[in-house]
Amino acid sequence: MKSTMTRTSIGRRGFLGGAAALGAMTSIRPVMAQDSALKFWDMIWGPSGYIETAEGITDSYQPAAGMLPADYQSVPWNNWYQTFTSAAASGTTPAVSTGAAYLPFPFLEQGVMAPADDLLAKMDAAGQNDFLPGLLDKMRTANGIAALPWSNSIFVMWMRKSLLEEAGADVPTDWQSFLTAGEKLAAIGRVGLALAASSTTTLAKHTISAFMINNGGGYFAPDGSLDCVNDRNIETLDFLNECVRKKIIDPYAASYTSDNATQDWKNGRIAMGFEQPGMDKEMPVEDRDDFEVISPLKSDRGETGTVYYVNPIMMFTTTPDQASSEAFVMHYLDNISKLWEMGLVNALPVKRSIAELPVIQENPNVVRAINEWQPVGKTIAAQSEKSFGALNAVDGGTATADFVQQIVAGKSDSRQLLSDLQDALARVM
Amino acid sequence: MTLGTAKIDKKGTRFGNTALSATQARRLTLAGLALPSILLMVAINGYPILFAAFQSMYDGSLLNWGEFVGFGNYAEVFRDPAFWRAVRFTVIFTMAGVLGSWAVGFGLALLMLKPFPGRALFRVLLLLPWIVPIVVSSMSWNWLLATPYSLLPQAVEAIGLGRVMFLADPTMAMITVCVFKVWISYPFMLMIMGGALQAIDKNVMEAAEVDGCSGLRRLRHMILPMTARTTYIAWILMVFFSVNDFPTIYLLTGGGPLSSTTTLIVMAYRTVFQDFLPGYGVAISFIVTIALVALSIFLLRQIRKSSLQ
Repeated sequence: MKSTMTRTSIGRRGFLGGAAALGAMTSIRPVMAQDSALKFWDMIWGPSGYIETAEGITDSYQPAAGMLPADYQSVPWNNWYQTFTSAAASGTTPAVSTGAAYLPFPFLEQGVMAPADDLLAKMDAAGQNDFLPGLLDKMRTANGIAALPWSNSIFVMWMRKSLLEEAGADVPTDWQSFLTAGEKLAAIGRVGLALAASSTTTLAKHTISAFMINNGGGYFAPDGSLDCVNDRNIETLDFLNECVRKKIIDPYAASYTSDNATQDWKNGRIAMGFEQPGMDKEMPVEDRDDFEVISPLKSDRGETGTVYYVNPIMMFTTTPDQASSEAFVMHYLDNISKLWEMGLVNALPVKRSIAELPVIQENPNVVRAINEWQPVGKTIAAQSEKSFGALNAVDGGTATADFVQQIVAGKSDSRQLLSDLQDALARVM
Repeated sequence: MTLGTAKIDKKGTRFGNTALSATQARRLTLAGLALPSILLMVAINGYPILFAAFQSMYDGSLLNWGEFVGFGNYAEVFRDPAFWRAVRFTVIFTMAGVLGSWAVGFGLALLMLKPFPGRALFRVLLLLPWIVPIVVSSMSWNWLLATPYSLLPQAVEAIGLGRVMFLADPTMAMITVCVFKVWISYPFMLMIMGGALQAIDKNVMEAAEVDGCSGLRRLRHMILPMTARTTYIAWILMVFFSVNDFPTIYLLTGGGPLSSTTTLIVMAYRTVFQDFLPGYGVAISFIVTIALVALSIFLLRQIRKSSLQ
């Protein structure tokens, strides 16, 4: 049969060649697009809606001439250290990323990250450096500013007012009144000090660190050397042991996950405990007014304090253009107020311009956290002022996990516990 | 027929001046065909193993290999009391996993031999622990056990046994994790042993019954020997599944409390990814691998022995 179609001049080889060229073009296009944009990794810092909002802030970035745009990518917390170290080992880290508090320090030490000194100078020049006092200092190292802070996961003491009233307890102001209130709460079957000490949870570690700092102690000496076995820490552990003996700390807490603790807060079993300032947002709407942040407790030495984690936004040396990375970080930090305006972050803001927003100032719990708790907060590097790479292993490692579980289990030889901790930490450092 | 320079006839093949028998030629051809796959497997498995072997001899971090310490990490592992505690619990967990799941699975498989109403549905229900994702199972068990207001602690208290901390007490946590392992694993044994039981000739069993052989004697002298080969294979597999079982433990207890439920594989993970000591952690993994290879050789010999019998 004779074809009625007009034969074109494109033969089989021509067709295949054209298809190959088209395929090559389409496959090259995304690569080109990728190379011409900054990769921005963002951990999931808030509830549903956080990712979309953070991505919106990224997408709203209009780079100046000669600067690169940014592509947002959300990164889950599971195996976060593995994610970043694998990327660093293979040279595939993004241009910019948010991350865990102590992540920048080993990376800066290894030359994987770019220091933020130049960026801070640009922010100074643009009038955007309004970081709250003390926070930026936590990022300073011998190699420069490791990263810029973008939020502050501080741990403050929450109480459930109705439970204290039911127990006939006063709001505690110091360790002794805390013990008194805790005993009264234990008498009505409530938990006076929330802990989640499962091996996969860090809440109990935060709480124990907070009390150690509260008493002027910590894991380190001012020069950064390990100093677990000191009088202040021993006093703290003795106090916590008293909490265990008086059933203010729940023995079940040894296996509690964060979810278990949250559930106990919700169902009215827990009356007091350290949590982040946005904890009330996780509670049922009808109960939220029942939760209140109290003022920092005074230790028996009359000192106050807590632990905080200054969450960084970091710039990696794998960026296609460092100036573009810096320009994007300036844009991002200048626009993250939306995250707090929409109630999508439990952590505190680190910039004065955000802290002064009506949505923050109208929340008495957050105001108290900023005004009373943040000034007395320290990192787990305390009593050292400088942070360093080994803090990752201190924060997430097995040494501190076993340490807090032993406290919950009621081990009473505080000096021995601290000595064992110091040996275990020395090994991982 | 010719194949390149080789001549093939019914007697054999000639490669150049070398004459090969038909069997040799066939083997050579098969080896040639298998070679790409073997090379691929070596590349995929060999490289990471070699990489890890080197890594276990350094004392650095995940970012920096650090200094070469030879077998220093291995020596340190053997001196570490935590390692021996992990060995102890690994043995307990594996024994419980293998024997417990086999006993339950085999027992249920025996029950399922005789028809009863709803047997098909019952069989599907019995497989549920295996089918449900481990993340869901561990969350369910956590919900059942973790807090004083959880279902099981409440039930135990209601019958007068006091407050039992299934996950917070080290000894109870060890028992709970082992029971969880049996619960997760028995459907596998049910499937394997069910198949082995189906393969036994019914006439033999009926003849034994007619001859007055009791159920227990039939089990001991007929069913167990007849299913011994399958049993050993199932045990070998379950030994591997148990020793290498990370999620069952990690999702339920994370290896705690007080490291009481830390097996070697959990210890290796925590050492590498929580303490950031990859050399030390990988050394633990290699020790586990060597132990497993030795154990599998022993069990394979047992299989051969049971086959001969």
